[in-house]
Amino acid sequence: MSGRSKSIAIVGTGQTVHARRRTDVSQAGLAREAVVEALDDAGLTMDDIDSVIVASGPAMFGAVNQPEKWLVDALGARYKPVVRVTSGGGTGLAGALAGMNQIKGGSAKRVLVVAYDKLSEGQLQASISTLYDPFWGREFAVGIMGFSAAYWHARIKRLGHTEEAAAMVGVKNRKHALANPKAHVKKEITVEDVMASRPLCWPIKVLDVPPISDGACAVILAADEDALSITESPAWIHGMAYYCEADNAADRQMIQSEPLQIAAAKVYQDAGITNPFRQFDVAELQEPYTCFELSYYEGLGLCPEGGAAELVASGETAMGGSLPVNPSGGCMGANPIGATALIRLAEAAMQVTGKAGGHQVPGASRALVQAGGGWANLRGVAVVGSEKR
Amino acid sequence: MTVIHQPETAEANVETMDWMAAQIKMPYTLTPGQATGIFLAELAGRRLIGSRHGDELIVPAQDFSGTTGEPATGFVEVAPVGTVQAFTTGATGTIGIILIDGSTVPFVHQLLGVEPEMLELGARVEAVWADEPTGGMLDLAGFAPLGSAATFEPKDDPADLAAAFEKVDYTMTLDYRHAYGPYYGTLFDGVKDGRRIRGVKCSACRRTLLPPRALCDICLAPTAEWVDVEAVGTVQASSVVHIEFIGQRLTPPYVYAEIVLDGTSTRLIHMVGDVDPDVAQTAAAPGARVRAVWSDRHTGSLADIDHFELLPGDET
Ligand SMILES: [Zn+2]
Repeated sequence: MSGRSKSIAIVGTGQTVHARRRTDVSQAGLAREAVVEALDDAGLTMDDIDSVIVASGPAMFGAVNQPEKWLVDALGARYKPVVRVTSGGGTGLAGALAGMNQIKGGSAKRVLVVAYDKLSEGQLQASISTLYDPFWGREFAVGIMGFSAAYWHARIKRLGHTEEAAAMVGVKNRKHALANPKAHVKKEITVEDVMASRPLCWPIKVLDVPPISDGACAVILAADEDALSITESPAWIHGMAYYCEADNAADRQMIQSEPLQIAAAKVYQDAGITNPFRQFDVAELQEPYTCFELSYYEGLGLCPEGGAAELVASGETAMGGSLPVNPSGGCMGANPIGATALIRLAEAAMQVTGKAGGHQVPGASRALVQAGGGWANLRGVAVVGSEKR
Repeated sequence: MTVIHQPETAEANVETMDWMAAQIKMPYTLTPGQATGIFLAELAGRRLIGSRHGDELIVPAQDFSGTTGEPATGFVEVAPVGTVQAFTTGATGTIGIILIDGSTVPFVHQLLGVEPEMLELGARVEAVWADEPTGGMLDLAGFAPLGSAATFEPKDDPADLAAAFEKVDYTMTLDYRHAYGPYYGTLFDGVKDGRRIRGVKCSACRRTLLPPRALCDICLAPTAEWVDVEAVGTVQASSVVHIEFIGQRLTPPYVYAEIVLDGTSTRLIHMVGDVDPDVAQTAAAPGARVRAVWSDRHTGSLADIDHFELLPGDET
């Protein structure tokens, strides 16, 4: 490989209006809605797109295998390279990484990444339970909720990630979602509401859990001068990585997510981040349950290990704080799983280009993104900024 | 380079390489979208509806043209008559690819009342309607050889279009046979017949791994010997399950637990039983000591352990 590496940017984003159930569109129609908005945002048409990455969750969510072939009609993508990427809750970020690599490798100039899930159609917990080895624990699985609650329980004991601290995450993100026109859960709650809500997998309670959503997100990627020819204000991707952990590896404690720490170290090096809490203006972190946002504060180095409860209580991660986390409302505003990670990336791009409207963090120029799939097995991190790097 | 190595005892158990039956069965409510939703709803009234996309007409109606990606600009009632473009015959009958007159895109349906050996490509067919509509694609029962061809002109923007179906019920039932392989095979043979839990020991770091496997995840050295593991251990993580969901295997409330059996370095996923759910929050917390209670079942799976019970007194 010769010459300097290409700088890749997000030049357009689009999202559906997310909902508990979209009765008016099929899975393909849902994906199209986000794509139309992203193309409009970039001022492009499908003729300008070289390659399409479709990102969606387990096929079992919607009972359609190889849904990418079904989407081709609705996207007008025939005769283009189309592949599907799937990686649980991190699917959208894994899809964006695949798109970046197509551009870096020279096989495409402009890549459309579209991520979606229409979770109203299937059985969420039963589908996710099939992530478990059929010989080893599947009969006890509650999606990832039983697992997630179990290790939160361990982190309560080891790291002080209390039920109240997680409740503060839920209160904060639901409040943020009020200002996001794309979010569909718009209800302000209190810490007391969360604490009093019905246990689902204790310590996880109803209000620690995001909604089940139908939704899609699309992002258009381009590089260098081409990106600047499309928009005056690309959101430059300073780094992106996605790492995994073995499922049944020995000595796996899951108090911290090692793949998250590895991904953060790699991306921070690429992006020149040495003090993440000070250097980021905003963060979009995929929090499938409230307890995960606490864990990610630590895994991403926003606070020391054991400091997450104090950080959320300080208010610094709320709008108006020094590092607002999830101004979009995060998963608590909408959680179409296959799209969720790409929504985090799109929201970060909107923030650093000043397009986040009512939930804009004033003057944001550098944003942190995190998303992952499985049960802490797969973790991704990205940094986007207004400055080319 | 890693070399796959199997302990000799595993090779000696090759004849036990068997399969475990598993079924995944889940109901769905699929969303057909506007155009297909109207097409399906109109079948009960014995009308075939297509969609217009510029010059293109697609039957059954679609929200988007695969040629251009353009949305439908209107709907058309078409003659329920078409041409067989391809067909195949199997045990359940003859399936044809049928192009409705005027449509640019063919679709798949049953061919009824045809003699496959007499059927030719290009054969003319007409719709056969279900006697009692049930609200789905089979309200159009299939296509049969064309009788007396009544003339029917396609009608754009037909009056009184039915409201689109918002959902179509569907159940997916999938049967699997999962191969145990030599490692799970040896483990679960021991569980089934001797109530033995057996792990493998790494040849380098001496960690005991459960479920057993060929290689150690930490040092990538081959595992070298089978070791018996006592069915006693420590809860690494636990939660109290109250949620009920379709497809659930167990009846809540129960305690989901990831347990590290004594001497092993890996987690076993099971449940802690015989404990009140509220008490479980502290009694079955991480650090609690537990012991397997065997069930009456001899299935060769983790279900042969009924649950883990709390051992008194030594929460760490
Ligand atoms: Zn080892």
